[in-house]
Amino acid sequence: MNAIEMSNDGYLLLFHTNQWWQELGREELQQVIEQNHVWIERLMTTGKARGGQALARKGALVAGKNGRTIVDGPFAESKEVIGGYLLLNVATFEEAVAIAKSSPGLAYGSSIEVRPLTNVCPSAARLKELMGEEQLATA
Amino acid sequence: MNMQNQNRNGYMLLFVGMDWHKGLSPEQTQKVSEDWMAWFKRLNEQGKAVAGHPLGLEGKSVSGKNRTVTDGPFAEAKEAIGGYFMLAVPTMDEAVAIAQQCPGLPYGAKVEVRPVLSDCPMKPENKIEESLVGAK
Repeated sequence: MNAIEMSNDGYLLLFHTNQWWQELGREELQQVIEQNHVWIERLMTTGKARGGQALARKGALVAGKNGRTIVDGPFAESKEVIGGYLLLNVATFEEAVAIAKSSPGLAYGSSIEVRPLTNVCPSAARLKELMGEEQLATA
Repeated sequence: MNMQNQNRNGYMLLFVGMDWHKGLSPEQTQKVSEDWMAWFKRLNEQGKAVAGHPLGLEGKSVSGKNRTVTDGPFAEAKEAIGGYFMLAVPTMDEAVAIAQQCPGLPYGAKVEVRPVLSDCPMKPENKIEESLVGAK
């Protein structure tokens, strides 16, 4: 799977996981991996998904005024992190949620965040809204 | 972690915190927002950012065996993910250096920098070895 292009719409699935697969035996694990593979392949071939990738369980967190605070290293095993994402080409929230509900990983403790992609920064959109209200109030 | 590690799959920046504009004037909010867009455009033109999107405020969370759907994946706007960039840079150092340029940082936004994997994380080598020796 490849990274994706810019697009006007669609939904992003973010997979939150705490490494539930560490608890499974070989056979069960193999089965879930296969189910997951089939699930994603089907979404890709039907054009419902346009890309997705897994993220390493390590990384850095950059914060602070000048980006000087850097916390890095692997995440604690129990910590829930975003383990991957899938970009959906579907038109409605309902369809995106329906796809999320069909994920094989859910039964094992993953949770999936479903978020609409936008081309407008939400804070800028909110600002426009507020300015519109002010104009109405003064009109 | 070895910061020099090369990763040909690139890196994902996740922008954490959707309340950075709290306490800013409308003009300041607009300025930061424009800086953010310009920053992406520049990285995109340089071929360093191959994709990116802000995320809408609304969201759902799906979890559990019963596939329960709840509103809003986040308890607090402070911890919510507001957008992402996909970076096509080869090292963690370069990805972190880019993250450090984020215009939201002075206002409390945080940036998570994560290496992208080419393969499924469910089958790391150590797990396979463990299974082979029957440790679990």
